[in-house]
Amino acid sequence: MSGGIPHAEALAAWRARTPAQPQALALPVPELLKRFHPDRQPGSMVPLRVGASAGLPCRAELATLLQSDSLVEDVDIAAAPMLDADVLVIGGGGAGCVAALTAARAGARVILATKLRLGDSNTVMAEGGIQAAVGAEDSLQRHFEDTLRAGHFTANKELVAALVSDGPAVIRWLIQEGMSFDLAEGSERIGGNLLRKKPGGATAARLLSYRDFTGLEMMRALREAVLLQPGITLLDRHPSLELLTDDRGRCAGAALHDLSLGRTVLARAGATVLATGGAGRLHIAGFPTSNHYGATADGLVLAYRLGAALREVDSFQYHPTGIAWPPHMEGQLVSEAARASGAALVNGLGERFVDELETRDVVASAILREMAEGRGVARGNSLGVFLDTPGLEREKPGILGKSLVTLTHLAHRAGFDAAAEPFLICPTLHYQNGGVAIDPDGWSGVPGLLCAGEVTGGLHGRNRMMGNALLELVAFGRRAGRSAAANARAERPRNIGLTHLADWRRALIAQGLPLTSKAPVIFPPYGNFDMATQRGRAA
Amino acid sequence: MYFEEALLSEIESGPKIQLVFDGHSIIAEAGASLLQAWAAAGLPLIENVGCMGQGVCGACRVLVRRKGERLAGTALACEMQVEDGMQASFVDHFPARRPHAYDLHALTDSWTALDQIDAVFPEAKNCRHCSGCDRACPKGIEVQNMVNLAAAGQAFAAAALFDHCVMCNLCVAACPEHIDPAHLGQFVRRMNAAITLRPADLITRLREIDQGRQPIDFEAPGANPPFES
Repeated sequence: MSGGIPHAEALAAWRARTPAQPQALALPVPELLKRFHPDRQPGSMVPLRVGASAGLPCRAELATLLQSDSLVEDVDIAAAPMLDADVLVIGGGGAGCVAALTAARAGARVILATKLRLGDSNTVMAEGGIQAAVGAEDSLQRHFEDTLRAGHFTANKELVAALVSDGPAVIRWLIQEGMSFDLAEGSERIGGNLLRKKPGGATAARLLSYRDFTGLEMMRALREAVLLQPGITLLDRHPSLELLTDDRGRCAGAALHDLSLGRTVLARAGATVLATGGAGRLHIAGFPTSNHYGATADGLVLAYRLGAALREVDSFQYHPTGIAWPPHMEGQLVSEAARASGAALVNGLGERFVDELETRDVVASAILREMAEGRGVARGNSLGVFLDTPGLEREKPGILGKSLVTLTHLAHRAGFDAAAEPFLICPTLHYQNGGVAIDPDGWSGVPGLLCAGEVTGGLHGRNRMMGNALLELVAFGRRAGRSAAANARAERPRNIGLTHLADWRRALIAQGLPLTSKAPVIFPPYGNFDMATQRGRAA
Repeated sequence: MYFEEALLSEIESGPKIQLVFDGHSIIAEAGASLLQAWAAAGLPLIENVGCMGQGVCGACRVLVRRKGERLAGTALACEMQVEDGMQASFVDHFPARRPHAYDLHALTDSWTALDQIDAVFPEAKNCRHCSGCDRACPKGIEVQNMVNLAAAGQAFAAAALFDHCVMCNLCVAACPEHIDPAHLGQFVRRMNAAITLRPADLITRLREIDQGRQPIDFEAPGANPPFES
């Protein structure tokens, strides 16, 4: 990235010109995206060379992981202790919890294995809300069409229909699990109406919320429910190193790694649900991320190696307003509510440069353009543009204290007053639009293997709408949990092992790909722990 | 990688802070969070970490003693910035030893809410008002007040106090009476929602769906791309 205008100078320019006048984008949108969207840069995508989706364009950093060798050999699992369950759920975020609960209540014995601690996930960080078409003027059909349009008509219609049809029942289910929702002003708890907001790209107010920490409220309820549910064995600090197969190619569970004892444990299961979330911590294209620490694409790597097909793995969402300064908060999200309420984006010359209410990909690209062409704001080693919160406060006095509470706290933690000084922001890696291809019951196409949540693809096409991620994880967590429980005892796995790895390694060698690259990475590089070489250490 | 480079270059350029973290003497950059200082010092970060700075997951719990202070306090490592002479150590996660078991779906009679709270959390009425839970909470929640309100059956008031709980469970560790305040707080919150939240618009839409009055048409004009593009 090139240098920008020094912060003090930029602040002076901003003060001199405030309020900056609206400015239409100087560049046609297709050209802007082509030149500045991170997914469109030369060399950013490569075709996959091995596996079920060979030929599919994929982000280069992700392709390296997808086309790498396993962390385990036969010798690693030879004497490993074996656990047994009907259903193995991998991932302790929202989708994993919902799948585990649903399967256990259907009578399955469940193991829930998670890399960090139950609940540590992107789910808990979600702020905005969850979509469900409950308004009288709204309909399932409108939710269906809005979601398809936002995804540039590349989503799978059957999946989207399943998603939106489940919406209202998902909200009822969440209330039954003890999650609260905001009510419309003046509404009573019985017989009132839910508070609804309009998410970007929607034709009706459909976003339900709990204050501005909807994900935390959801995760609290789900976490307690899982802890109290008979029939679920919880394994914290047990990342999955490799899926297991039986001699017919059916997924038979996973080789887990017990981090506290530094040893491998096998979990045998009739059905396995992957709910491992996204990939933000790969810092694709060098971006900071709003994702939690565990988002390292583990599930994509495991499923792909076992033969599952992927889709739209060349499409990621960069949220326009991540924090650029101070460095200790880099990448954290400044909610879209700021721009939706009217906060302007201002470059180092004190000028606006884009309609702030454009879609996320356009606004993010416009910001990157300012930064690339020397009109960004430089502060220390950080580069970004201003989000003019003081201008917003002047225009709508009291808004920062009343409705943008989280944003105001964020500024406080960064050590400044959002009403006096603008945020320094730059785009942050936010969501993986694609993933493992599934059917409406959550099946991946590999016998015995289901997927749910951000790890899947097909629901969002090439762009996800705000509020559809939380809906997805409950709707498809329930579907996958139900299918897994129903199927788990139909065929018990036998002769289980790593039989799929021989073919995989042959394919890598045939393509001249190195066997020295190992995945999944489990932890980001700044976690200072290489799973390939250091995992024998107890910690 | 951009992220690491940013961390490293900050360390090289900024003023140096010296602190002791889990027994390791480390040098950190001014302005870094404890969590970032730990990672930048090359120490393995494989637990006690989650949302990395948003402060909502409660995973990175630390005991912190500042220079010149006698007592250590609790904090979240992603929110607490490094200070010279600081001593910090992670507080490992542990689940509650005796889960207070209940089946939310079986709690249907709101007349017996007080009985239910007492039956599931019998220790709540034994609160000895030591304020240990209040001091332990990194979010400044009035935990003890919540426990007392819940024990008196004031479920809504108790639940409201636990609005900002991030499930760090430090109050569970602090309570000498094994009340498990974090789980009591979630119990009253969940009970309130499950027993009393009945939105009319949601119920109406669910009924329409049951009656087949919300069909989805794959071939509708709005469900397909416009012709020109």
